[in-house]
Amino acid sequence: MLDPAGPAAHSIARLWWVMLIGSTAIFALVMLLLALAWRPARAGATEAAAERTWIMGLGLAFPVAVLLVLLGYGLWLGERLLPRAGPDVARVAAVARQWSWTFSYDEAPGRTTDGVLHIPAGRPVDVAITTRDVIHSFWVPRLAGKLDAIPGHVNVLRIEADTPGSYAGLSAEFSGHGYEDHSFTVIAHAPDDWQAFLEDGQ
Amino acid sequence: MTALARHRRLSAAWASGPGWKGWFSTVNHSDVGRMFLVTAFFYFLVGGILAMLIRAQLATPHSAFAGPGIYSQIFTMHGTIMMFLFAIPAIEGMAIYLLPKMLGTRDLAYPRLTAYGYWCYFFGGAMLLVSLLFGIAPDGGWFMYPPLTGRIHSPGINTDFWLIGITFVEISAICAAVEFTVSILKYRAPGMSLARMPIFAWYMLVVSLMILTGFPPLILGSILLELERAFGMPFFQVELGGDSLLWQHLFWLFGHPEVYIIFLPAAGVVSTVLPVMASTTLIGYRWVVAAAVALAILSFGLWVHHMFTTGIPHMGLAFFSAASTLVAVPTAVQVFAWIGTMWKGTPRLHLPMLHILGFFVTFVIGGLTGVMVAVVPFDWQVHDTAFVTAHLHYVLFGGFVFPILAGIYYWLPLASGRRRFFRLGNVAFALIFIGFHVTFLAMHWVGLMGQRRRISTYAPEDGWTAINLISSVGGFVLAFGLVIVLIEIVLHLVVPRRSRRNPWGAGTLEWAVPMPPPAYNFASLPRVTSREPLADDPDLGVRLARGEGYLGDARGGLRETLMVDIATGEPEQHVVYPANTRLPLVMAAVTGVFFLSLLLKLYWLTPLALAGVAVLGWRWVWQLGSDTDLGCQPVGHGLALASASETDRPPGWWGSAFLLVANATLFGSLLFGYAFLWTVAPGWPPAAFMEPSLLVLVAAPAGAALAVAGIALAVRRNRIGGDPTAALLAALAGALCLAGAFALLLAGAPHPTGHAYGATLWVLGCYGLVHALLVALMLAFLLARQRAGYVSRSRRAELAIVPVWTGYLAVVTALILAAVYLPGFAA
Amino acid sequence: MSDLLRILVSPAAWLACFSAIYGLSGIVCAAGPGAAVADGSGPRMVLVIAFLLAVLLQVGLLALVWSARFGAEPGLVRVVSRISAVTGLVATVWTLFPVLAASACL
Repeated sequence: MLDPAGPAAHSIARLWWVMLIGSTAIFALVMLLLALAWRPARAGATEAAAERTWIMGLGLAFPVAVLLVLLGYGLWLGERLLPRAGPDVARVAAVARQWSWTFSYDEAPGRTTDGVLHIPAGRPVDVAITTRDVIHSFWVPRLAGKLDAIPGHVNVLRIEADTPGSYAGLSAEFSGHGYEDHSFTVIAHAPDDWQAFLEDGQ
Repeated sequence: MTALARHRRLSAAWASGPGWKGWFSTVNHSDVGRMFLVTAFFYFLVGGILAMLIRAQLATPHSAFAGPGIYSQIFTMHGTIMMFLFAIPAIEGMAIYLLPKMLGTRDLAYPRLTAYGYWCYFFGGAMLLVSLLFGIAPDGGWFMYPPLTGRIHSPGINTDFWLIGITFVEISAICAAVEFTVSILKYRAPGMSLARMPIFAWYMLVVSLMILTGFPPLILGSILLELERAFGMPFFQVELGGDSLLWQHLFWLFGHPEVYIIFLPAAGVVSTVLPVMASTTLIGYRWVVAAAVALAILSFGLWVHHMFTTGIPHMGLAFFSAASTLVAVPTAVQVFAWIGTMWKGTPRLHLPMLHILGFFVTFVIGGLTGVMVAVVPFDWQVHDTAFVTAHLHYVLFGGFVFPILAGIYYWLPLASGRRRFFRLGNVAFALIFIGFHVTFLAMHWVGLMGQRRRISTYAPEDGWTAINLISSVGGFVLAFGLVIVLIEIVLHLVVPRRSRRNPWGAGTLEWAVPMPPPAYNFASLPRVTSREPLADDPDLGVRLARGEGYLGDARGGLRETLMVDIATGEPEQHVVYPANTRLPLVMAAVTGVFFLSLLLKLYWLTPLALAGVAVLGWRWVWQLGSDTDLGCQPVGHGLALASASETDRPPGWWGSAFLLVANATLFGSLLFGYAFLWTVAPGWPPAAFMEPSLLVLVAAPAGAALAVAGIALAVRRNRIGGDPTAALLAALAGALCLAGAFALLLAGAPHPTGHAYGATLWVLGCYGLVHALLVALMLAFLLARQRAGYVSRSRRAELAIVPVWTGYLAVVTALILAAVYLPGFAA
Repeated sequence: MSDLLRILVSPAAWLACFSAIYGLSGIVCAAGPGAAVADGSGPRMVLVIAFLLAVLLQVGLLALVWSARFGAEPGLVRVVSRISAVTGLVATVWTLFPVLAASACL
């Protein structure tokens, strides 16, 4: 996920770097305050003043301000990553089982592939995810976050690849002894290749 | 009477049996607390060894050290043991040992329950340990998600060990929580109002209430999953109207509060030890209390943040993301209150303080990564990767192990009466601190690079080899440091080097106890006028040993103590504790037979074991009380108080009330599960709803009403000096009629294996049936006590307890009838 | 016990309202796909009204805890219960404001 190759993964990676910098600053501040406690004797503040500084100020106001900003950022970003309807959205379906994946394509009915998901590059793709047995999770780290495959439910995940290429996909929910090899590949095609892929099977 | 004579007399009354045989019959909190701690640290060792195996496995790519099957057992048991067999019992042990001493009293509210809780933990833990030794340990992950853990995908006995063993162990947590709640509220030194309570007691009060409301959802989940596995009741099978997400909700309804149940006692330790290390008092005591309360309740609204990737709509995620960020605020209040306290005082770098500094560094990082994973899109990426593993270790090791080590080094002189001789602790701290951060900082990074949790191998081309090797090396350094801690503690107990009293200069009452503490703690109970009694009067311990407090005359070889008013701490009742007995051990063993019969599917044994538990429970309660009126008892300083058996609010009343809080949470979780399946599971509504039965609809309310009215009438008859027998008989008839009604309801219900609807109705009906029978047993007990002369106009305590249970039964009956029949009416 | 109640009532009421509104958002979505996506639609209004009721309840509890009649006597419990009451109100607004902004069923 530190090497993003799609819009969702890009924005989440940016979120991470922002949070890392912010957290490092906060951590440094706390450590500094902790170290300053070892200064030699100094004039003591009153209990009320100490409460105002440490509890009202640093304990309440400071985190509330930081967290409100972060929460707003996170929710705004989350809204943007949702699988909203749009004119150029490609729709595919992913079915997991112990320990393989089968993919099918709305634009090529009847066409299925095992272990390899083909998508058009540069277009948003909605993956409808479900499972035949236990819980699995669909995750292509370089493209987007993950979403679980839950028995009886269909979850929709928006992914998108900026450029054509091949991307590693994983199942990220423990599923028994074949778990570590439960992977797949996503191949993003340029428009012509995508058209060729769709027509290939018919 | 001299102090020595008083000590001898009190010791004769309070001491446990001689030698190792005494362990089996002791009910003394100091003994049981130590037994809890030793056992918990044994499991810390086992869990630690498993952690080392995990790190050995992951140190190199394509490791052939353990295959995936064994590896699954290892990581499942590492998490399970650390959470259920180490962290929670270590907290229990510490609080059992310390609370009465801090509160200025002689024992916890229910000494036999303390011991029973320990033995349940002992036997339940042993079950899991046996499974590990035989290689049939649970292997579905510590979170046990079905359908992977269902019968189809995990046919072996492994999962049953988890569901049954952990439920058994949780009995001890529930027992301890009831005990702590009542002890903190009602068993304190005279004059210790809520505002004068040591801060640790506040934390433990909050934690106990959390255990009472946090553990029942998991207990219910375990029962439902075991019912599915053993009898095919499809609560989590989607094709038959169940839903695997129900388990996740129940599990995390427990699982998230659990994290704070582990953190808050440790925060209590920090709040206690840190001010002493800085020779000052905690700033913002009331803010810290309020922060602990806020943290506790907020933590119940976070559970879905473990389920951000399960496809819940974004609005739902936003609620929980917001709550998860908000919970950082009361945490920050506490952290800054602690740092402010250090600014206010002059901190000294003793060994406990070193560990508190370790706590600050580690926990602040863990808190910051916690806020990161509370942000939904980021969690979508890192969920189920090593990043989360690293985060949770920062929180739990930072927020629990460091403070507990600080606490151990702080209170060890109290428990042993000795000083440290070998100065190994600083070396150990350095190794632990460095080892920990090397291990888990690296793990964050490899998680961000895409390493998933719970994989047993990876390929060299993944590029994780160096980081994992570094992480493993760090892990072994950490383990080495912990071993040195263990060696130092053993040496401490072996090398006699007497410590002076109150070596840290603390102000709380536990340091007024002789060192090492005698079984009775205080020769006489102090009157408390401030939050730091020992700071006001450094000679308090000597004066108490001279018998200048309450209950100083050690009458009649009885284990005496006082119950106080909740708000003011003024003495209210005189309590005599039961003495040493093996009953808790036997009761726990028979309870173990019950669980074992379920595990091994020896169902003919199950009712026998239940009957055994009922008989022993009968004996348990029978041993209390008195067959003559005692009147008011002198407790010293010219004060005379009613005996507990001659009041309307005896200890049993308080215990029942808080036990019912846990019970009601279990029932509430069941109703939640019903509603959840109804609205979310794909296979609903079922083909047909159950037809209401007129007979049940008449018999159940009539029975419940008769039971409630009968017991109320019995209480009133007894109060005016009349004979309550007839009214009790009527109440008994009512309870039995209600039990019959529930049996009828069950007979008419759809088959429990056909659809989750039928399965849920069956559990609801059984819940009602069990409670009706339980109330019937209590009423029969009251009748027997009445006949044997244990109940009189003034000895009314036992009569006062049962109405709480009948009232609960009546409410539950109404809810069950509504839940079972309303859909049929509506259809 | 009444002291405990004063301290716990507001945050506990938050927990109840929070869980109830979360459940309600699930039911609203189960009622029909996309039912509450459009802003200003009926289902969204249901959630918003529930949110406002929850805030109102918290304001009421805050007034009660602060009042001379039902509040605690001066001392620790009064301070802690007042902080708790404010916590309940803040938590209600903080955790449930997404009913105004977030997509309900996506």
